[in-house]
Amino acid sequence: MESNVKDTELTERLELIANMMAEGRRSTTRWAWTIVLWGVAFYVAIAWSSGMFGGPIWGQHYMAWPVTMIGTWLLTWTLAGRMHKGAKAPKTTVGRAIMSIWTAMGISMFALLVPLGLGGRADQQVCVAVIATLLGTANAASGILIKWKAQFACAVVWWLAGAASLFGSVTQSLIAFLVAIFFCQIVFGIYAMICESRRRRQVQGAANA
Amino acid sequence: MPELPELNPVIHGKLRLALLSLLSGVDEAEFTWLREKTGSTDGNLGAQLMKLEEAGYVAMKKRFVLRKPQTLYRMTEKGRAALSEYVEALKQLLGNAVISG
Repeated sequence: MESNVKDTELTERLELIANMMAEGRRSTTRWAWTIVLWGVAFYVAIAWSSGMFGGPIWGQHYMAWPVTMIGTWLLTWTLAGRMHKGAKAPKTTVGRAIMSIWTAMGISMFALLVPLGLGGRADQQVCVAVIATLLGTANAASGILIKWKAQFACAVVWWLAGAASLFGSVTQSLIAFLVAIFFCQIVFGIYAMICESRRRRQVQGAANA
Repeated sequence: MPELPELNPVIHGKLRLALLSLLSGVDEAEFTWLREKTGSTDGNLGAQLMKLEEAGYVAMKKRFVLRKPQTLYRMTEKGRAALSEYVEALKQLLGNAVISG
């Protein structure tokens, strides 16, 4: 009996170590809200650029992508700043690696899509393929780094959407993009947020037990 | 029969173990972050961190950011080695329990 109690206590200690180490390395789920935010931003930009909204401002379709993307970037930056007002999360090697992947992806997208647009070569299907493939690359690299199969699955969906967009019609390419956004940004983002809240409760419970 | 390993009493305390495990995954961490993650009180957390510091397992430094004081903790090499030894000892004890059970 006493031996069983001791074994349980030792097992609890091992679980506590694993939970706390995971908490220290946690980097993706903390940012889950940005995944959802950018998914919504893509939907707004697509709806705006396709003329779904009316009015003097919304009627300026050419402004849809630049305004939405810059606006979302500013919103992400502001909200991230607020997130850091409490206890600032410490830096980790994994966190830095993930940040570098997404920063590099954002710069690559900007460096490619802006000249494509300015140069008058922004074919919609090619743009969807570029965006989807780059998002696939970033998701795959992050997923491999933190060994998260769900994120790697998102990468596969992005790659498939990117490839598919080059075959069908313009409308079919847009549908592929919308479906990928739904699964990889909205559904995956909400799933990551649920994981985050679950883990937070688990970790605090383990340390206080 | 092989001799069973002893568990390091400095690390064995639940809060101290949680703190060392948290610090093992990061470069350095603020006092407030450690408090948030462990859900501990300021007094208890400070006392446990001091014990770890006295044992040489963590190092503390203070700095000012935007005129606000900040206390940062990082795990030392000695602390890393001690945590590894503790985990090994735990595994060995649990392994023995499985064999004898």
